[in-house]
Amino acid sequence: MNIDWLAFLIVAVATLVSALLVVGSYGLGVRLLAVASDAPESRRPAYRGLAYLSFAVAAVAVGYGIYLIVPAFH
Amino acid sequence: MDLTFIVALVVVLALFFDFTNGFHDTANAMATPIATGAIKPKTAVALAAVLNLVGAFLSTEVAKTVSGGLIREGEGGIQITPLMIFAGLIGAIVWNIITWLLGLPSSSSHALFGGLIGAAIVGAGFQAVDYGVVVSKVLLPAILAPLIAGTVAYLATKLAYWITKRDESASSPKRGGFRYGQIFSSSLVALAHGTNDAQKTMGVITLVLIAGGFQAAGTGPEFWVILSCALAIAIGTYSGGWRIIRTMGSGLTEVKPAQGFAAESSTASAILASSHLGFALSTTQVASGSVIGSGLGRKGAKVRWDTAGRIGIGWLLTLPAAGGIGALAAFIAHLGMVGVVIDAVAGAVVIGLMYIRSKRNQIGHDNAISDVDQAGEIVRIKRKKKRKATAKKRAKQLAALSAGPLEPTASPEEAGRPDQVAGRKQAGLKQAGRKQATAAAARAAKIGTTSNQDGTDEGVER
Repeated sequence: MNIDWLAFLIVAVATLVSALLVVGSYGLGVRLLAVASDAPESRRPAYRGLAYLSFAVAAVAVGYGIYLIVPAFH
Repeated sequence: MDLTFIVALVVVLALFFDFTNGFHDTANAMATPIATGAIKPKTAVALAAVLNLVGAFLSTEVAKTVSGGLIREGEGGIQITPLMIFAGLIGAIVWNIITWLLGLPSSSSHALFGGLIGAAIVGAGFQAVDYGVVVSKVLLPAILAPLIAGTVAYLATKLAYWITKRDESASSPKRGGFRYGQIFSSSLVALAHGTNDAQKTMGVITLVLIAGGFQAAGTGPEFWVILSCALAIAIGTYSGGWRIIRTMGSGLTEVKPAQGFAAESSTASAILASSHLGFALSTTQVASGSVIGSGLGRKGAKVRWDTAGRIGIGWLLTLPAAGGIGALAAFIAHLGMVGVVIDAVAGAVVIGLMYIRSKRNQIGHDNAISDVDQAGEIVRIKRKKKRKATAKKRAKQLAALSAGPLEPTASPEEAGRPDQVAGRKQAGLKQAGRKQATAAAARAAKIGTTSNQDGTDEGVER
């Protein structure tokens, strides 16, 4: 019987990295938006911008993940 | 017996199986965002259907596992016949519908494999099945994938709460943003479902085409097969959604937006990674693993072992039970034309039963929204208010003890026991009781028995 344990390791690591990256960056965005609403007027746009940047990171991570698994793109 | 007729019958049955799969699994992806109000029901269902359709086109690795690895067909292997696949499908469909009627959680993927394996063994003996592939691509993923998804969901939930944790004094609800994130994370789950589940049917149809000599052994699914499977699962998802919408409010496990987002991200990652490597796993089981893991990631979580055990037994039973029915169906089918007719009639009767049952719109504790939702009940999370109440009571008792004469008071155990009805009522009173809860929280914080970090989004979700 030939069991490909490496494949399971790949699934585990890929799941861990992608889920934590997406949740972490999206969570950071959520936090920064909340921080922005508390911040003084002058610094608000900066926090907002960083928040949207975090959301963008999450979106790019998802997009890259899908790109990786679709054979048609390679 | 006409070979083409049997092959056509199998194709139709397989597509029907695909339809029921979509019908059954919509809730896994879309129940949470509908419940939290992040997305309108109609939109959610349509979105899930479209994403299942798209997902079915993304990759064909799982289909290849089913069509090329599981059963040794072609040269050097066993000549499997379309009849065996027919019997296997009957076994899978019958078992699926039995479990559905009884409200047992089960996996349609395992039913499919069980049925096929049982039928192949009866039709061609024990050497017909490649047990190495069964273990490495079906059984082990079935155990490991939910574990991986659960562990990751646990960590992701911790991360989500930690990263959004702010001082008490800071204004504005902090985790409401996750509600919108859930639109995307559940979309990903729907997409992942398409990449894994639609392909199992593609694999079966390809297998029967190969067995019938309509396609060369070792080739992937034809385009018309991919297209029809994608459509069948999408239509199934769409029609299944309406049932969910009708049954909304019949007792969804309470999932908070941040927790749901973490769970769905983990589910989608695990399924997409597994699909890529050709693991044919049960999306329901992976989603259940994530929901349990993320529940444990929240404060005050406890496992309800009896519920967990019941679900676990349902999962374990599926493969052998569907195998048994598949074997029986194969045995009958080998009687010749009469056998095929008996099988087909039995299948039709069971499907008819299912249709009648689905019309009845009867929702109980067991067949509520989805299997994943059921799994969510494994984890018991004390409400923030309840935890505060327990802490308060304990503090009072301590005070009473130190003050002098003892009075019999209710034990903290009792105060913490979740009664479903009481829980619901409490949810209704939540708004009104918030001020008192905050006051209680302040007192509890002074006593130092509880910490106040995970409940800060309570006001956001309603």
